[in-house]
Amino acid sequence: MNKPDYSDVVMRPKLVGKRIKRTEDLRLLTGTGEYVDDVQAAGMVHVAIRRSDRPHARIIAVDAHAAFDIPGVIGVYDMTDFEGECEPAVPTSRMKDYYATPTWPLARGKVRYVGEPVVAVVAESRYAAEDALDHIVIDYEPLPFAIRQVDAVKDDAPLLHEEAGTNVIVRREFVRGDVEEVFRTAPHKVGGTFRMTRKCPSPMENRSYMAQWDKRNRALTLYSASNIPGVVRDVLSGCLGLSSHQLRVIAPDVGGSFGGKGSLYSEEMLVCLLARKLQRPVKYVADRLEDLAAMSQAFDELIEAELAFDDEGRFLGLRADVIGDVGAFSIYPWTAALETVQVISFLPGPYKTEAYHGRIRGVLTPKPPTGPYRGVGRPSSTLAMERLVDMAARKIGMDPAEIRRRNLVRREDFPYRTAPGIIWDQSAFLECLEGACAALDYPALLDRRDAMRAEGRWVGLGFASYAELTGIGSRISVAPGMPINTGTETANISIDATGVVTAAFGVASHGQGLETTLAQIIADELGCAMADIIVLHGDSSLVPMSTGTYASRSAVLGGGAATVTSRGLKAKVLRMAALLMEQQTGDLDLHDSTVTSRASNQSLTIKEIAKAVYNQMGRIPRDQREDLVFQETYDPYLGTACSSTHLCMLEVDPGTFGVRILDYVVSEDCGRIINPMIVDGQVHGAVAQGIGAALLEEVIHDGEGQSVAASLADYLLPVATDIPDIAIVHIEAELPNNVGGFRGMGEGGTIGAPAAIANAISDALAPLGVEVNKLPATPDRLFALVRAARQDKPPAE
Amino acid sequence: MKPARFDYVRPDSVDQALDLLARYGGDAKIIAGGQSLMPMMNFRLVKPAVLVDINRIPGLEVIEDQGERVRMGALARHRMTATDSMIASRIPVLHDAMHHVAHMTVRNRGTFCGSVCHADPAAEIPMIVLMLDGQVEVASASRRRVLPAAEFLVGSLVTALEADEMVTGITIGMSDPQSGWAFEEFSRRHGDFALAAVAVTLGVDADGAIRNPRIGMTGVGETAMRMRGVEALIDGCHPDEDMLGEVSEWLNDNLVPNTDIHAGADYRRHLSGVLAGRAIRAAYARARTLRGKQDE
Ligand SMILES: Cc1cc2nc3c(=O)[nH]c(=O)nc-3n(C[C@H](O)[C@H](O)[C@H](O)COP(=O)(O)OP(=O)(O)OC[C@H]3O[C@@H](n4cnc5c(N)ncnc54)[C@H](O)[C@@H]3O)c2cc1C
Repeated sequence: MNKPDYSDVVMRPKLVGKRIKRTEDLRLLTGTGEYVDDVQAAGMVHVAIRRSDRPHARIIAVDAHAAFDIPGVIGVYDMTDFEGECEPAVPTSRMKDYYATPTWPLARGKVRYVGEPVVAVVAESRYAAEDALDHIVIDYEPLPFAIRQVDAVKDDAPLLHEEAGTNVIVRREFVRGDVEEVFRTAPHKVGGTFRMTRKCPSPMENRSYMAQWDKRNRALTLYSASNIPGVVRDVLSGCLGLSSHQLRVIAPDVGGSFGGKGSLYSEEMLVCLLARKLQRPVKYVADRLEDLAAMSQAFDELIEAELAFDDEGRFLGLRADVIGDVGAFSIYPWTAALETVQVISFLPGPYKTEAYHGRIRGVLTPKPPTGPYRGVGRPSSTLAMERLVDMAARKIGMDPAEIRRRNLVRREDFPYRTAPGIIWDQSAFLECLEGACAALDYPALLDRRDAMRAEGRWVGLGFASYAELTGIGSRISVAPGMPINTGTETANISIDATGVVTAAFGVASHGQGLETTLAQIIADELGCAMADIIVLHGDSSLVPMSTGTYASRSAVLGGGAATVTSRGLKAKVLRMAALLMEQQTGDLDLHDSTVTSRASNQSLTIKEIAKAVYNQMGRIPRDQREDLVFQETYDPYLGTACSSTHLCMLEVDPGTFGVRILDYVVSEDCGRIINPMIVDGQVHGAVAQGIGAALLEEVIHDGEGQSVAASLADYLLPVATDIPDIAIVHIEAELPNNVGGFRGMGEGGTIGAPAAIANAISDALAPLGVEVNKLPATPDRLFALVRAARQDKPPAE
Repeated sequence: MKPARFDYVRPDSVDQALDLLARYGGDAKIIAGGQSLMPMMNFRLVKPAVLVDINRIPGLEVIEDQGERVRMGALARHRMTATDSMIASRIPVLHDAMHHVAHMTVRNRGTFCGSVCHADPAAEIPMIVLMLDGQVEVASASRRRVLPAAEFLVGSLVTALEADEMVTGITIGMSDPQSGWAFEEFSRRHGDFALAAVAVTLGVDADGAIRNPRIGMTGVGETAMRMRGVEALIDGCHPDEDMLGEVSEWLNDNLVPNTDIHAGADYRRHLSGVLAGRAIRAAYARARTLRGKQDE
């Protein structure tokens, strides 16, 4: 496989770009990491939660008398027990036509989805707490509901939040050009209904929280399996009426998130309230059934889209009408607009499409709220767009690579403003496509496909090209109209009296390896040994303003903050060294923790300089002495494009309708690569996740509002045998205009894989005229599609 | 996901275990590999008051060659069955089936007899036991009995076992060394329970016609099934398109599979025909090869 070649990079830094093993792996892979569930405290009590088994009902009464007969039970609480003790979290937005649903610690007055927390039991052990759950009687008055988005969107549909006056809490539209006219006159059109069904992020570690009340300081510490500890601290302190001194949120080792731990949860509020009420440490660890029922979910848009193009395959216009099923609440802080609006803002993809009309309605339904999920919006939009592109190519008999080549935004077009207003900076759109074709020898691949087809096998290949906006600065908020700044990142780097380096950030690594990559950057920029650096993160108390790790921001913003802060600190070190060595700072270099002078043969280690600064008073003139501490905030202002093309070949078994992936390549441009091993790992993992979305995973609610894929025996995650070898081509085109030259790349695989697989299956089944527009493409769905095609009628669904 | 409160006892002999069952009856549950029981307890679908752990009883972790038959002791683990060389050569269809039973870690603990007692309608082992004239050895403190597999397996997760009884072993017939065999399964992911699976053994006569076919299926009914109707259909025939078409049709007319979230009944019926066709062809090809060798 093409390995990146850095030989042409002038003055290549020493550690950035190297395949360095992750420093966090020693603890994580030897069982010595510390997750929330590992955090112990004297007198700790445990919570189990009775969740709603109704999709929509009024809570008439809760009778918990019998629960107190269970040995070890300490208390049973419903929302009425917390009235006056907290305010709800309200995910506000500057967006028009939006209603922000309030989030409370437990269901208040009504339940709005199966799985919503209603009653909390506190007991000496989780066993006792679960025993008590069976003895709680909740009297409900059933309320009408519309479980499907096409019904919930109707004017006369039963309302989930009466105060909103509607179920449609998000409306957004983007228009550029005279779309009607373009479609009226266009030589060709293709269209369809596209759908990525609901997913559950399913990180390996379930959601876990432990809150501890410190009587002495009248303060709370919340240990949270969260990737946004800063956001949680800021909102919860408000909800609980605490000053933010009185609340510290720590995310220790976090076992993955994929977006599922990137929002505020009722359970986080709950453990804090209980810890304060009971003055005891309170732990709640969700089990897998609970996380499948109540963790934020993903996608679930119904996308009607149409593409107009000419005989040359050039795209003339695109239009889409989308209904996003946002579940029962607008999630804090991202709002129900995060996923839904991105579907229409990214739909035109990396292509030049002048005329565009995209409309979305985000509608409440009695299901768990949707929230961030690796790729946000773009897995759905890319599925729709890339299917349209392939349908267009087929319609005019053009090669699918060629039609993409003709429409991708080219080098000379950058910066390119898409119809919804996203600016694509220099990124290797076309080069990624060519890279994928070269890696699998596209002409030979076509021959192989055709040879296998000649044997009667159902073989097809599929592309997916996409671009995403990563590392977004303060100019744009990550979610439309969201009043929280996510566009800056602060680093505080200090050298202590013994000469070691402590670097504190607002990010919250939960599998990305940021302790390694940020240390690589600091080592290069500061000139110190990597072993001397400790990276602190995942703690709201580290820097004055922090949010966390999400939206492919941490390498760009955290890396940028590491760079500018290291440079500031290095200048201080050199100033102190210059005084100690009686040299000009301009003659000094700092490498491998040692300052050397080009004007003499003197040298001083950082350790020696630190000793002089902090302990050997008098060696540096008093008025010129500076602490070796530097803090700086980095703001890339705009975002940067990260682009990629996926290409895969697969085979559908004509008997079983099982899908086997034969070849897979990802060709991507993530700017300057900090650690190729970590980048490869992110691509492999994200593609595996995308394969799960394409072939296996589906949250299904039946007509009664019950979730029927309630355990991992029914919600099928991909396993090792489902994942092919994944080839990766790194294209390092022109670097983006940010401090490190980095682009965010943690999400891409989940964006490209579903579309590439849908295209490849559609190609394999093209002789039958089958188009795969709904994922996952389960054997049962493919069977129904093929049968319908053979009988020449639409499949029943 | 914590089990309800239970007591735990670990008898050292089968007699002790039977005494415990006699004492606690329906309140007690045997735990063998625990690979099906523990998830059900953690989900609180079953709440036994007493767990009787048979794992330390000596003499149960055996696979015995009895000449015409093989006896699987109550603690014969899936891994033992999958790697046993006698089974690989004398009951190759079981050997092949074992590749589809769960994953390595589950196979290290899960037991042959536990699978039959659990009677999951999509499990492989009950099907093989039915197909190969399995006899289930059942014991209680007061009596011993041997039940044919067809009587033992009653329905989905239901067996003929009484509350005070345990299975001490199961015997199955060895395959005719001249017979061809095949095992075909399709599941959503490798190691998952089957959407449908078909096991076939058959012989061929001098004219190349199928003789003494045995066909088992699982995943497409309330229990594992022996498909005597299909056996009758193909006995004495040559497997060509027409015959396999008839098999598909027969299955389509006679099977009443479940619809669940993994697949609908129509798909499962279709899949059964496809897998049966593949398995019959493969078993036939093997039988022809074996016959050819013998004729040389
Ligand atoms: C992830 C996973 C995947 C799996 N996939 C498959 C698969 O693809 N195919 C498959 O066939 N199985 C599968 N299994 C189930 C596995 O094979 C189980 O091990 C088996 O079904 C039960 O055997 P056990 O020894 O674990 O029984 P246990 O779980 O210990 O017991 C199961 C039941 O049988 C009873 N029992 C057990 N032994 C006796 C006895 N001697 N006498 C009386 N009653 C007894 C118990 O009381 C209990 O009711 C899977 C399991 C898991 C966890």
